[in-house]
Amino acid sequence: MEECAKVKKILSRYLDQEASSADTVLIKTHLDNCPFCEKEFLELSRAKELITGKEIKALPPDYLVCRLREKIASQRQDSQEGFPWLAGMGNLSRRLIPVPVTAVLLSLALLILTSQQSTTSYSLEEDMLSGTQTTTATAAGLILGMQS
Amino acid sequence: MKNQMDEDTLYIEQFLGGQEKGFEMLVRKYQNKVLNIVYSLIGQDRESEDIMQESFMKVYKSLGSFRQSSKFSTWLYRIVVNTAYDFMRGRKSFISNTEALEMSVAPCAGPRDLLLTSEKEAMVQIALGNIPLKFRAAVVLKDIEGLSYSEISKILGCSIGTVESKIYRARQFLKEELLKFKGV
Repeated sequence: MEECAKVKKILSRYLDQEASSADTVLIKTHLDNCPFCEKEFLELSRAKELITGKEIKALPPDYLVCRLREKIASQRQDSQEGFPWLAGMGNLSRRLIPVPVTAVLLSLALLILTSQQSTTSYSLEEDMLSGTQTTTATAAGLILGMQS
Repeated sequence: MKNQMDEDTLYIEQFLGGQEKGFEMLVRKYQNKVLNIVYSLIGQDRESEDIMQESFMKVYKSLGSFRQSSKFSTWLYRIVVNTAYDFMRGRKSFISNTEALEMSVAPCAGPRDLLLTSEKEAMVQIALGNIPLKFRAAVVLKDIEGLSYSEISKILGCSIGTVESKIYRARQFLKEELLKFKGV
């Protein structure tokens, strides 16, 4: 019984021809004399045969090469258009990008407009002369400065 | 074995030297081996091809950083198994019994033997799918690909003893599963 337990532990290894020479001799001798372990060995062999005998799938030699060429070309195109981070994204994700971007821009525009309206409205000149920093005045000043 | 490694090294060096042909030669060489490993792991045709493509894309992007301290095939199969695992984590179901048995029905009348072979194939695939994933990869790499315990241990990142245990447990599951099917 003790030997059965020891043999069962290494039966798979023996079946896969990975057992040491000493273990191989031990198992062979034991299997010759133990119908229970012999039965276990035959069942394991049968299980192995069914997997090794599985149908082998085969694709045409250039099948995957063609698919990969398309995929690589598509990712290169995305990265050349200045959006390398797009290359890793799927088509659906890319189409959805403008949605949150537009939402953010609209929110910013709204925030600027409402903050402008909440202060007393001065003309652009008055803003600039008063030295009071407003977003509009700052932008106008920058633009005028650049133009001069 | 040495010739196989030299061939792979040559293809890798071609690719790293700027010749895409090197990568394409590797793809042609390993595509069917990878397909059969993935299909045996997940049991779905179209998804197997997608996983295969994704695996090779990962190889393409990181071949430059492959150290060549291990065999290319070991590195490739590690990527393949991990990619298949990621897929399985996202999709809990293996091919269903109905899908597998439907696959065995020939679209047109064929010889009875062929039909029986297809049914047997479906049954084996179902049985494989019922082996817990943690054991499945080991027995697939051993019995489909014929890799040694040592190679499998490098691919799965575990000891040789663990590989042996996984394979043994997988076969125990397979044995129980196959008893459910008469005549297998």
